[in-house]
Amino acid sequence: MTIGISTYMVYLAISIALTIWVARTLHKNGRVFLVDVFHGNEALADSVNHLLVVGFYLINFGYVSLALKLGYVINNAQEGIEALSVKIGMVLIVLGGMHFFNLFVFSRMRRRSTARGHHPPVGPDTFTTVQQEA
Amino acid sequence: MFALTVLYDPQCGLCHRAHEWLAEQSKLVELTFVPCASEEARKRFPQLNHDLTKQDLTVIGDHGAVYFGPKAWLMVLWALTRYRDWSYRLATPELLPTTKRVVSAISQNRYQIGRVAGLSSR
Repeated sequence: MTIGISTYMVYLAISIALTIWVARTLHKNGRVFLVDVFHGNEALADSVNHLLVVGFYLINFGYVSLALKLGYVINNAQEGIEALSVKIGMVLIVLGGMHFFNLFVFSRMRRRSTARGHHPPVGPDTFTTVQQEA
Repeated sequence: MFALTVLYDPQCGLCHRAHEWLAEQSKLVELTFVPCASEEARKRFPQLNHDLTKQDLTVIGDHGAVYFGPKAWLMVLWALTRYRDWSYRLATPELLPTTKRVVSAISQNRYQIGRVAGLSSR
């Protein structure tokens, strides 16, 4: 196996492992949020959680796959490690971005569901009598 | 508060369009539309100053709380599922003066806006 091919293999192994780890973390810890957002409806929370994780996998594996091509020839182990570090760094940043985006989605959903105040936004100008309909 | 009565101006195209739009929105609070200063409005609210309701949008809660002008608009927003958050946002001390200015400007020019936009009152 050439250095180039082994670099690709290591890149794929690390990227896939990282993606799976982040997705599982999200899946495990996001559930509590979603159960709260959906007012204890666990079936719905699990379903949305699962759909979010599938989207997360698709985007990340899509990125990992698109970013695989190096575009130049690797001659020695040093170049291989440098190329690998750039690629893994990019994957980590994309994963981080996706992770924060997911957190943002969760917190937004949660805020939406809890910010439903029951008090009117403004006080009345005056009061009048209401004739009840017969 | 479980229901709001909206006294709107039946002669204004803009109000008519707004009424149609509101009818389609999902609501957290029931909205009843009654033309302002109409016989039905006078019957429902015998002690209200009905001449005042011709000047600007008026909203009345089912316990008789009267909201006039910009406050009435905010109450209508508050009644809508999608815009309740916005009603609080627009009612914050920082935004309320602007909200009032914009709403008053639209309200005072509602006939002109309706005409320019080609909205019919019928």
